[in-house]
Amino acid sequence: MLYKRYIEIGRVCFIRLGDDIGKYGVIVDLVDQKHLLVDGPDGIGRKVVRLNQVALTDIKINIPRGCKTKTVRTAMAKEGVEAKLAATSLVKKFAAKNAKAQLGDFARFKNRVAKTASNRKIRSTVRKLKKSS
Amino acid sequence: MAHTSRNSTLPGGVPKLSRSAVYKKRALYKRKKVATVPAVKEVALTKTKTVAGEKNGGTRTVPVQKSPRFYPTEDCKTPLKNRRVVKPTKLRGSIVPGSVVILLAGSHRGKRVVVLKQLPSGLLLVTGPYKINGVPLRRVDQTYVIATSTKVELPALPAIGDEIFKRKGKPTKNEKEMFVDNAGDNSYKISAEKVALQKEIDALVVPAVKKVDMLQSYLRSRFTLTKGQFPHEMKF
Repeated sequence: MLYKRYIEIGRVCFIRLGDDIGKYGVIVDLVDQKHLLVDGPDGIGRKVVRLNQVALTDIKINIPRGCKTKTVRTAMAKEGVEAKLAATSLVKKFAAKNAKAQLGDFARFKNRVAKTASNRKIRSTVRKLKKSS
Repeated sequence: MAHTSRNSTLPGGVPKLSRSAVYKKRALYKRKKVATVPAVKEVALTKTKTVAGEKNGGTRTVPVQKSPRFYPTEDCKTPLKNRRVVKPTKLRGSIVPGSVVILLAGSHRGKRVVVLKQLPSGLLLVTGPYKINGVPLRRVDQTYVIATSTKVELPALPAIGDEIFKRKGKPTKNEKEMFVDNAGDNSYKISAEKVALQKEIDALVVPAVKKVDMLQSYLRSRFTLTKGQFPHEMKF
């Protein structure tokens, strides 16, 4: 099987573009070839999103098509979607990228200094190992 | 005690209440008119002056305000009074005494410096500190600066104004020397007063900088953009 994550009712998707960037929702219905009806916690509510705004995750919950927001939220709470999502590499990478963007000039400087120092150490150790081998 | 107007104007310049309505509202017939007449000060129009000389009568009455000797041929309108209040430019919220700031123009462009205060002229007073990155006490406009979120805790600094930054103008040549080339040494020389002030300020600011880990090396480095970095997308 080429694809493991399908667009299906109950698939949890992570919104990676647009106004609701960083939020997640569950696919509740399909609007057309390129749009999904997604429902999520308070921050996002029930809305139509474009397929390209969204990244599918491994998490899938059991909900009937077009069910009410209340049903969706209880099902999400039951499955512990939020905790599972926080453990995915997708969300972790997103959080890391976000954190990096929030760094100030001084923090960026300190990171750069630390990186060059560690790179230097790595290179010198590699060189030493090469010499000894 | 005067009251605010008991009438108001409607759009179009029409007063809201009629004469009789205002009269009723004022109800002066119910009150005692207490008109405080300000005491009229007696201003002397003439004064007597003693005059020297035997045959000049000893004294003379002279008007206090002399009538003008000269009247213009045409009556000119007096220009309106200038009520402009000069205030220093509004400082960006991100710039505060002690904040580290990136200079964007001038010979020190890219350098990170410490803001000391806003001068009465509106410009920022900034120092490297000189010991750390070679930027002396300098005035800088806040528009030529990127404010970072880093702040240094500055101790109480001596008062500095715009006066020390005023440059002495070129000496005006008189007729004889008009064509003599006195070019000589017209270059700007830093006054001893400035050097002393710089040392004094550095002695206060440098220890405050050294307290923060890595801040000194940060101030020594210049700000640059690398590939993929866009200032409008970066947080400072």
